[in-house]
Amino acid sequence: MKCRYPQVLLLCCALYTAVAGVAQDDMMDFFDEVDEQARPVTAVFKSQRLINVHTCETPGKGEMNFVIAHRFGRISDGAYALWGLDNASMRMAFEYGLSDRVMLSVGRSTFEKTFEGGVKVRALEQMEGGRPFGLTFYSVTMANGLRWADPERENYFSSRLSFAHQAILTRKFDDKLSVLLVPSLIHRNLVDVPGRAHDVATLGGGFRYKISNRTTVNAEYHYLLPRPIQDEWHNSLSLGIDIETGGHVFQLHVTNSRGMFERSFLTETPDRWQDGELYFGFNLNRVFQVGDRR
Amino acid sequence: MKHILLLLAFLPAAIFAQQFVTREGNVHFLSETPIEDIEATSSEASVILDLETGRVAVQVPILSFHFEKALMEEHFNENYMESGTYPKAKFTGTLRDFGALPESGAVEVMVDGSFEVHGVSVDRPFNGTLERKGDEVMLICRFDVRTEDHEIPIPAVVRDNIAEVIAVDIKASLVAR
Repeated sequence: MKCRYPQVLLLCCALYTAVAGVAQDDMMDFFDEVDEQARPVTAVFKSQRLINVHTCETPGKGEMNFVIAHRFGRISDGAYALWGLDNASMRMAFEYGLSDRVMLSVGRSTFEKTFEGGVKVRALEQMEGGRPFGLTFYSVTMANGLRWADPERENYFSSRLSFAHQAILTRKFDDKLSVLLVPSLIHRNLVDVPGRAHDVATLGGGFRYKISNRTTVNAEYHYLLPRPIQDEWHNSLSLGIDIETGGHVFQLHVTNSRGMFERSFLTETPDRWQDGELYFGFNLNRVFQVGDRR
Repeated sequence: MKHILLLLAFLPAAIFAQQFVTREGNVHFLSETPIEDIEATSSEASVILDLETGRVAVQVPILSFHFEKALMEEHFNENYMESGTYPKAKFTGTLRDFGALPESGAVEVMVDGSFEVHGVSVDRPFNGTLERKGDEVMLICRFDVRTEDHEIPIPAVVRDNIAEVIAVDIKASLVAR
């Protein structure tokens, strides 16, 4: 065959070569086209609680987190009381992941023999390349379990109850720094002096900073918004570290709030840092997988 | 004649459409120890295979691996893979002595390439099979990864729970790009 169109053939050859060459370079652009699936930001905090206050973290579906927490006596009690270690106040709790975003919890503190039942819902999650913050709600009912001070008079069960509702705003800035902002509303059915506020609001903030993959330093502060509560209640400030060892998270801290449930540490902290009225304590978290994850 | 030549001019595009891809490849891995077996799967592996050049590339987001327990997943990402810093496992390589892929039947293939996990690349060969099934190309590959090779530290306390060598399985059905 005599080709009448040599220039066209030449063009073909050039195209073959060019396309083959382009194909080589073309390949990796496939990965640029991959739309990254939007993923929630995970591991914002190491534990369900930063120190006292709840974080956005909930146990995974079917996970049971068992918490044993202690607050010892005042460090200022000195060597005689082994800087408070002789005198421990205890709280234990079970926190169960109903789904990856809903937690149910029950707790019991030795302080005022208090029972708690709480629900935490991770309503909005911070997203990779998307929503810049997470929003979690926590509500808890607390019941004072002490015997009635005056059993002779008519006592109501509702007098034992108090409630706390929190909106927990969280943001993980990078691998190391996560911050939370927590407005809280606490309602007490019974106040000890008539005329004092049944409803108290606080505004809290805190952060964690990772100093290694398994260790973080934490701080939280809760400011009591001005309301007519007793003068002797103060703002709560706590500093601590988290140490994670596989299935456990150990949280060690120093705080001026000895109570470990919301009404107590948010609105009824009698001690102050500037007076050296501090408590050493820990939370120990142990996770068990009890239900199916799927 | 003119038409045939015109056709020829446009043919290269068709002939060289030899790239097969997926974004839903399956990756499974297993760490086996007498104390516990830990396994995870991802179905978000992106694979591209060029049958003309014999080149192949794979990328898997580390966060796409899911475990039986949520806590394992957290530890995997936070403590071992550091997925915030090293979000993907990557591979690019070339098929060794590769001819045309037969119309049916699986062929054993060897791939030489660079495998990056935890930000550390290792040049090594992989074994696998390719098989044409209708319009699809099935890719199957099994290999071992030494955590040490990729500088993934395993602390002494969990050394009995996590294997030093992790067995990885990849299965992907690729379609023409």
